Amino acid sequence: MNSLTTEVGYVSLNKVGEQLCGDRVEMVEYEDSLTLVLADGLGSGVKANILSTLTSKIIATMMANGMPVEECVKTIANTLPVCSQRKVAYSTFSIIQVNNNQEATLIQFDNPMIILLRDGVHLDYPSTQQIIDGKKIAISTIKVQPGDLFVVMSDGALFAGIGLSFNYGWQRDNIIDYLEARYLPEMSAKMAATIIAEECDELYNHQPGDDTTVAAVRIRKRQTVNLMIGPPEHKEDDQKMLDLYFSQEGKRIVCGGTTSTMVGRYLNKPVITSLDYHDPKIPPTGTLEGVDLVTEGVITISRVLEYAQSYLSGEDLSADWNNRKDGASLIAQQLFETATDVNFFVGRAMNPAHQNPSLPINMAVKMRLIEELSQALRQMGKQVRVTYF
Amino acid sequence: MEIYVCIGSSCHLKGSYDIIQLMKEKIAECNLEDKVTLKATFCLGCCTDGVSIKVDDQIITGVSTENFDEIFKRYVLQEVEA
Repeated sequence: MNSLTTEVGYVSLNKVGEQLCGDRVEMVEYEDSLTLVLADGLGSGVKANILSTLTSKIIATMMANGMPVEECVKTIANTLPVCSQRKVAYSTFSIIQVNNNQEATLIQFDNPMIILLRDGVHLDYPSTQQIIDGKKIAISTIKVQPGDLFVVMSDGALFAGIGLSFNYGWQRDNIIDYLEARYLPEMSAKMAATIIAEECDELYNHQPGDDTTVAAVRIRKRQTVNLMIGPPEHKEDDQKMLDLYFSQEGKRIVCGGTTSTMVGRYLNKPVITSLDYHDPKIPPTGTLEGVDLVTEGVITISRVLEYAQSYLSGEDLSADWNNRKDGASLIAQQLFETATDVNFFVGRAMNPAHQNPSLPINMAVKMRLIEELSQALRQMGKQVRVTYF
Repeated sequence: MEIYVCIGSSCHLKGSYDIIQLMKEKIAECNLEDKVTLKATFCLGCCTDGVSIKVDDQIITGVSTENFDEIFKRYVLQEVEA
């Protein structure tokens, strides 16, 4: 494992009135390689969805297993069902494969050209054309650097705003300018995809005229965030849990009143709690020397999970938590944006006062929250480890 | 005098936010800003009978918006004036 990691995030907007998206993003991690495929099926709705799903699944699986691109394209051509109206089987695709966090191969067929930002600035890259099975395919190999950001879109992104804000839609150059202006060195892949998708949604006046998908691949330095919630089930494990927690590299978050008291005792430092409610529903945060953030436990984490789920589903394109200061938003910023790796240290001590069934903070709730949050973070491309005590 | 209002999970659900707002108002109303420091704290260990507050070294549990005035008078006003 080197000090770099490849992070992926994407957002899809469905064409107005469609339940299914005709674009599809598929990602496969295999040994040291990561393969992302974005496919845009002909038409929209079910038909397009089937075409793009088949295309992306087949390519991602074959590419991840090291098959040459010719084989993949031929397999697609032989597998896709032929549209009865149009007499063609057609889906565009873009492939980004990153090997060992060192080298990226881009293989593109008929989608808008992948955008590469290096240090926040657009970079043109060379590509060679190859005709496979009558399809003109552009292939590029790029040595990557930490911070590189690849953005791949379906053509729905370029059509955004046609006739409304722009005569010819939002051109690739406009998207590059937009992205450069909003680029932040610490930006996650998911956030890069989200800000473009949000602008597309705006330009479409929230009624996309075409399925629109934006996916981003980011080469990042690993950044671990360690989050502790709950004291251990057995008091004699306190020391072990705390020693392990403090032996980790990276940022530290402590959630929960009893937990922060325990950590304060271990560090021999006071927990200082703020009186400021940035959100009346979320208890204020605290500070503790040696820890980056202290918050209340279950109520705060519930809110973090809500943020994660609506962010992932594409419902929340504004990502307001990125600018707010309540405990849940601060945790969200750390976990969704800063982290590439997240370690949860979960203690299973029962707080008798929390086991009242009328309170939404009992043990079962806490365990479920952590499980769902881990799942959500994995979907954001984070490496997640959960240890129970 | 130092007053701590518990903002742990249980107390939060039972209304710490309101108690803190009431405390702030009352302290201002009685011009006690230079005599009383209001702070928050995570968990005073009395989770079953929140909202809990701590006035100097004394923990008072079961504070609610209903009994707030009475508790403020008894534990804060009378103590400050004594």
